[in-house]
Amino acid sequence: MSWTGSRRQLRGWVRRQMYSFFSSIGALLSHRVGTLMTVLVLGVAMALPLGLHVTLTNLEGLDLQEEEWGAITVFLNDDTRPEDAMQLADNVNTRGKASATLISPEQGMEEFIHSSGFAQAQELFDENPLPWVVLVTPRITEQQTLGSVVSELVSWLQEQPEVDQVQVDYKWLQRLSGLLDLGRAFVSVLTALFSLAVLVVVANTIRLDVANRAEEIQVLSLVGATDRFIRLPFLYSGFWYGLLGALIALALLSLSIFYLHDPLQHLLQAYGESFRLNGLDALEALIILLTGGLLGLGGAWISVQRHLRQLRMDGNLGRR
Amino acid sequence: MITFEHVSKRYDGGNNALLDINFHLEPGEMCFLTGHSGAGKSTLLRLILMLEHSTGGQVLVAGRNLSQTPSRLAPKVRQGIGMIFQDHKLLSDKTVFDNVSLPLIIAGMRYVEIKKRVRAALDKVGLLSKEKSWPLALSGGEQQRVGIARAIVHMPPILLADEPTGNLDPQLSEELFRLFRQLNEQGVTVLIASHDLPLVRAMGQRVLVLSSARLVDDIPARPHRWPGP
Repeated sequence: MSWTGSRRQLRGWVRRQMYSFFSSIGALLSHRVGTLMTVLVLGVAMALPLGLHVTLTNLEGLDLQEEEWGAITVFLNDDTRPEDAMQLADNVNTRGKASATLISPEQGMEEFIHSSGFAQAQELFDENPLPWVVLVTPRITEQQTLGSVVSELVSWLQEQPEVDQVQVDYKWLQRLSGLLDLGRAFVSVLTALFSLAVLVVVANTIRLDVANRAEEIQVLSLVGATDRFIRLPFLYSGFWYGLLGALIALALLSLSIFYLHDPLQHLLQAYGESFRLNGLDALEALIILLTGGLLGLGGAWISVQRHLRQLRMDGNLGRR
Repeated sequence: MITFEHVSKRYDGGNNALLDINFHLEPGEMCFLTGHSGAGKSTLLRLILMLEHSTGGQVLVAGRNLSQTPSRLAPKVRQGIGMIFQDHKLLSDKTVFDNVSLPLIIAGMRYVEIKKRVRAALDKVGLLSKEKSWPLALSGGEQQRVGIARAIVHMPPILLADEPTGNLDPQLSEELFRLFRQLNEQGVTVLIASHDLPLVRAMGQRVLVLSSARLVDDIPARPHRWPGP
């Protein structure tokens, strides 16, 4: 093959691509309502897993103030002497993995009266019923996660003779992160299911397109079009369906975020959180658009292969 | 240009469409193929277009043995042939221009070139003024001429026609056959299947006669030709 020959072939190839490219757009525009319905279905199907993904990403991004969640409340025995309580608090501090705050029964009572507004409380008791309390706040180091620091601290604290009871808030954090893990797995399953749905919807739409254009396919085949040339506009159509579906999904998502942002901010401000609901960044959006397009292309490919073969077996490519 | 050697075609049901067909068409020859409907005319043309494969013997088209050509090369074979159908096979949702341009688009030609050639082909069949019309707005004869324009637009060396005058009155049929002869005089090999015996005889060209799947007669062209237009 000479250099000019292969260049001419390449130009021919490009021109055929251009023709298919534009004719696929023309085909989509000529059935506007049908195209719109298909694209909307695809958009909703893609928006569901995407929405869940964005929700989870935002939840994970929340500043959960892990150290506060990891706080351990240690109640000491009733008969603990003040110097033993102080010794314990010192020991915790010198271990270096946490800081301890000592709360005496008197401080505890004061706080209780202050926060409950129940001023007579003290008079009801002959003596202060509250125990010494040590508040232990673990420090997260680079080597250890909060979980391991907390469990190490708890087992050490439980061995101390003065300790009556150890209460850990950390479990809630563990449960939340467990829920987030579950959510993530759920997103994966949903993504797989809805990708399948997109493939099937596009494949079915292309199947109808092929059936509607059986006559055109027949004529093209008779005047010498290759299978590749016949396939091309349908593959482009599939790509457009997927791409437009993804675009609709992104639009639905942005609309939801816009709509939910204010109420969510309100709610979270009550928890003292400064909060911004994040959507997707440009790169993620691009990846989603491309993925949508490729899914559509895949669906179209499956469908067009099957139905061209069907047309050929029925003898419709040429037989009258 | 077209050679049939002991060609047979038997369909799955067991009935023979063609039995031991032998003939040879020289490049630039013009030939008619006649016979009753069901005699095997369409099957013979379909074999040349690789729409069917022979079950026996060999079909050679432009030096290529079709019996040994894989079906993925069928488009290549068809690109070298202009085919005209009785029912025109025009696409009703495309204009005359777009219909005629299909073979050139498939060839990946430049748009400027396509425009030039489509106009030339439409001019040849006398329909240049109708390039923006829709096929259904044309008469039967005009539609058939659009079909011919599409068959010759890429200047194939071979032209096949299957009952091109099937739905036309005698005068239009005659005009059409004159057009075929003009093309033939420019060097195109032409094979026309037709059951319009009087007209075929009047043309004075070579005639192959099919009857019950067999080639029963091969009438050579008359030396003095039918007066030209």
